[in-house]
Amino acid sequence: MEYDPENPLTISNEEQHRVSDPIEALFAAESDHMSPLAGGHLDLSARRDAVSVILQAQFGCSLDPFAAYLAVNYVDRFLSKREIPSGKPWIVRLLSISCLSLASKMKKTDLNLTDFQREEGFIFDSQTIRRMELIVLGALDWRMRSITPFSFLRFFLSFFSPAQAPLLHALKARASQTLFKAQNEIKMLDFKPSVIAAAALLSAAHELLPIQFASFRSAISSCEFVNKERLLECCDAIGDVAMDGCDLTFEMVSSSNTPVTVLGRHCSSSESERTVGSSSDECDLKNRRISELRGALRLSQA
Amino acid sequence: MEKYEKLEKVGEGTYGKVYKAQDKATGQLVALKKTRLEMDEEGIPPTALREISLLQMLSRSIYVVRLLNVEHVDKNGKPLLYLVFEYLDTDLKKFIDSHRKGPNPRPLPPSVIQSFLYQLCKGVAHCHSHGVLHRDLKPQNLLVDKEKGILKIADLGLGRAFTIPLKSYTHEIVTLWYRAPEVLLGTTHYSTGVDMWSVGCIFAEMVRRQALFPGDSELQQLLHIFRLLGTPTDEQWPGVSSLRDWHEYPQWKPQTLARAVPTLEPEGVDLLLKMLQYDPANRISAKAAMEHPYFDGLDKSQF
Repeated sequence: MEYDPENPLTISNEEQHRVSDPIEALFAAESDHMSPLAGGHLDLSARRDAVSVILQAQFGCSLDPFAAYLAVNYVDRFLSKREIPSGKPWIVRLLSISCLSLASKMKKTDLNLTDFQREEGFIFDSQTIRRMELIVLGALDWRMRSITPFSFLRFFLSFFSPAQAPLLHALKARASQTLFKAQNEIKMLDFKPSVIAAAALLSAAHELLPIQFASFRSAISSCEFVNKERLLECCDAIGDVAMDGCDLTFEMVSSSNTPVTVLGRHCSSSESERTVGSSSDECDLKNRRISELRGALRLSQA
Repeated sequence: MEKYEKLEKVGEGTYGKVYKAQDKATGQLVALKKTRLEMDEEGIPPTALREISLLQMLSRSIYVVRLLNVEHVDKNGKPLLYLVFEYLDTDLKKFIDSHRKGPNPRPLPPSVIQSFLYQLCKGVAHCHSHGVLHRDLKPQNLLVDKEKGILKIADLGLGRAFTIPLKSYTHEIVTLWYRAPEVLLGTTHYSTGVDMWSVGCIFAEMVRRQALFPGDSELQQLLHIFRLLGTPTDEQWPGVSSLRDWHEYPQWKPQTLARAVPTLEPEGVDLLLKMLQYDPANRISAKAAMEHPYFDGLDKSQF
């Protein structure tokens, strides 16, 4: 019953072969969980403020990052359906708190809202939060088991099946990092969760498994559920996000001796020397890698 | 809640009273189910939140009764939650009864049985694909739209989703007559097979117009099953004699299943047999059942 972002449909492993393809159900339902910019009236400044409150909770109260991710998803979906009266910043805070409360209940994680609010310098009483929870639930049609890009990671990882478990694990970890960061990018809201997941994994593969990249790319773009053009656009958009934290990858590469590091070193050895260089070098490097990734992804379209 | 006018009490659901009501604005008939879920200081209870959102996800299928809305009313300062479902005026039990008793007793047309069973399998497959077991499938829980010939699964209880790892559940779940033998024998692991056994019993009941295994106690229920299908052995059902509530039973030989459902065509008997397999691992899945030759004559494009 617990909501697992990677498995929102709560299917047990041993049942998976007996049921109609659960992934079809996911692809069929994902649009219900989007908050597209186009045609909507998402209040960007309200969103920015809400995300900042939620990130405060994540880092200040060491909240489960998935719960924070889910809370932002609720905020986005709420804002795409309801308008917040301008000049009332407290409503945005109340919305953020209520979404945090709902998300931590879905994830079964504890979050002491009173302590958190005290630190933030505002306190809503429990009745007010309760009322706002109901307003959010109503606006979101009680669809609280959000289908997010995380829900599709397992499915798309299966396209990488010749890879070994540690590699898959590294890919997933890298893609997850990208997904957490990508949530802050407004432009990502226009893409379906499945497309974002595929793009995040491809970008991780390009970085960590350059040799196998081409075969993964063609496998994923041949998936019947994925719109190739949208995937390409999304890869473009996610490229910046993913490369933004390449320093993290270097840490990962140098701190372990799993097979990942062999391939990881392979792709980054020439660059790791450069990272000690000037910041303009780093910037060049980042840009070069982004354009490499874009080029590599475009090839699949040919 | 002012949106709805209560018309009459139509029953006691799993979670409390059920009312037939009307949406004042649209005239739409709805079923209002009062839940026992109360809001407290902490706001909406986490279990209610997780379960209602699961119900909402399931009600995308037209073979599952649609959850239209969740309403809350303040009662003595405590909000109570009501689930608002679409309303259908009859259920499969009443439908079968109307063919057995009353002014015009007659068998259910074979095409209706075929269509209802297909829709039931489709709804069950949908629930299973979302990781949800119904665990209380019975004719009373299957709502019927006579005009359109549509059957929908209702009373998907709260707190019934199975998760990883599989938990053991309490035992008082399935109405005796539709209860799978592994449940009667005290298994600790429930799987999708428990629903498929119920589907088999419901299939047979549509054909016979009376229950296949009308037991009035757990033991009698098992004996009903064993008398028709034979007393199960460890060969056909590995591990059966190690189940918690297994005892030594009289040794019955399996009867010919077709004799229990004499009007059912051979393909139908074959499908029924696959639904009533003792070993839950051998029982046909809802998805596979939909592909069974019994449905070959059915125009599946309409579903």
